[in-house]
Amino acid sequence: MQLQLQQVLPVYFDENHRTQSEVWRKDLTFTKGEYIKIVAPSGSGKTSLMHFLYGMRNEYNGNIVYNSANLRNYTPEDFAGYRKDHVSIVFQDLRLFPEQTVQENIELKRQLNPFHPAEKIKEMAERLGIGNKLASRSRICSYGEQQRVAIIRSLMQPFDFLLLDEPFSHLDDKNSQNAMQLMLEEAKLRNAAIIFADLERIDWFPYTRIFHL
Amino acid sequence: MAVSFKPIRSLMQTGTNTGSRWFSYIGLGIGVLLLLCSIQMYINIQQLLGSESQRKDGSDFISISKTITNETMGQLEKNLFNANDISEIAAKPFIEGVSPLTANRFRVQLSAGDIIPFSTDMFLESLDNNFIDTVPPNFTWQEGQNYIPIVFSSDFLEIYNVFAPGYGLPQLSAETASQVVVFITCYGPNGEKQTFRGSIVALSDRVNSIIVPKNFLDWANNKFGNTTDVKASRLYIKTKDANNPDFLTYLQQKNYKVNKDKTKFGRVKQVLQGIFSGLGIFGLLVVILALMLFSFYLQLMIARSKDNLQLLLMMGYSPNWLSKNVSKQFIPVYILVVLVALAFTEGMQWAFHHFAMFDRPELSSMLHWTVLSTAIFLIGLSLLTNYRMVKKLLYKLV
Repeated sequence: MQLQLQQVLPVYFDENHRTQSEVWRKDLTFTKGEYIKIVAPSGSGKTSLMHFLYGMRNEYNGNIVYNSANLRNYTPEDFAGYRKDHVSIVFQDLRLFPEQTVQENIELKRQLNPFHPAEKIKEMAERLGIGNKLASRSRICSYGEQQRVAIIRSLMQPFDFLLLDEPFSHLDDKNSQNAMQLMLEEAKLRNAAIIFADLERIDWFPYTRIFHL
Repeated sequence: MAVSFKPIRSLMQTGTNTGSRWFSYIGLGIGVLLLLCSIQMYINIQQLLGSESQRKDGSDFISISKTITNETMGQLEKNLFNANDISEIAAKPFIEGVSPLTANRFRVQLSAGDIIPFSTDMFLESLDNNFIDTVPPNFTWQEGQNYIPIVFSSDFLEIYNVFAPGYGLPQLSAETASQVVVFITCYGPNGEKQTFRGSIVALSDRVNSIIVPKNFLDWANNKFGNTTDVKASRLYIKTKDANNPDFLTYLQQKNYKVNKDKTKFGRVKQVLQGIFSGLGIFGLLVVILALMLFSFYLQLMIARSKDNLQLLLMMGYSPNWLSKNVSKQFIPVYILVVLVALAFTEGMQWAFHHFAMFDRPELSSMLHWTVLSTAIFLIGLSLLTNYRMVKKLLYKLV
């Protein structure tokens, strides 16, 4: 299971990004079990990279290849399978259903391809300190709480790669470490890779490789 | 494990738009009702008029004669059809067959024997058997045979029954008429005469005449009338459509007279069928309009739920699965709409059969199978257009 970046550069970036970046316009291969840390200041294209890897956008030059299949050739159905079975994501902007409860938001993901039984939702929610929020509509939860909902949601499915786009921006250190611990355990269960993009280096992410975007 | 659509249903925002949805359901129902009723009425007309019409093998049979004017009066040549006239008519593309009505060229007297003291001079005609609507198997004659079968116009029987009481004659039913044995006496120019026995073997609605087998009349014309070249005063024409404008123009040009009564029935049927075809087309248009309205409603619904649907697709929901399930939501209501329309049509048909047609045996109180299959087809059509619509819109969101 490999995720490869081949000379990828957003079309809206000019070429001088290539000299400064360790990712853009490079050939990189991420394999299962790796913990990749991507340190990226604002405006360096961190969210773009995550969206490219997740197959949501394709405004880039170069290719992204998953298991020797180019994402450019994926059909809408292929992407559905890719996101359901192989790659999970925590969006920077979370993307929850505002009118659904926390429980419903997580269940909507879980039922697609359940890696855990439904009881696991409550267990994880309690572990991250939002056990009492399961019945609340997600729009009335604080941003920090929503961030934890998005994290739990991303752990409901099987995956080879877990993409994290500033997942702790609204969490204090204690909650962040707690959530990180959970994600590491879940990644280990699947022997999956984590690709973690954030503004700066975080000490409690035991990365195996680090790149500056 | 099958993915459930239940939690997704609430993500489809339909709430504020129930008005336009119900409008399209009602529109669809009315359109389907119009369409089904028209088809059923069209079939009713076929069944009602089909059995009584002048049609045989799907053709019209009509008799034509030359119009006798003051100028042609007395000139037999001009008032009869000769062989040229006949072959000219037969060559026209709208004519499927021509047969002359050949009349007797000698004096014929008919008497009813002792039972009914009735005797009259009369005429006999012959016509190709294919042109007679009722030809029983015993309608044959061979030389030396003393018995002549007769096909009698039912109109003539009616006329007889009108004047019979005034002459002290018994009125006859169709059954009795065919049991009466009559004596037909043929007179030759030199005083010879021969009497045959005859009886009515069938009544004809189509041919206004007294028809005897053709070979008998040919033989008798030859024997008593001394002529083989008999010109016809009337022609029977077989045509696909007696209302064909080419045909009618041709008749007018040649100054031929057509029995309008015989084509009138066909015309009424045509007008009625035209009306119901028009109504059916209107119904179909309403159905299309309703489906369009519904597709607008769907577009609106999908546009309103765009964010939610996009997020579902982003989470890994298959666009094909979503399209199927979104359009599946409307299956029950579509089936219900068509079933209600079908029930109304059935009610209409029952009322029409029972109250307007007094349970006539040609009709059925039940719907014809074409109506049922149209209903099924319409359900399928609505579901298919829906599914394609939703699928197209959802793939745009990916």
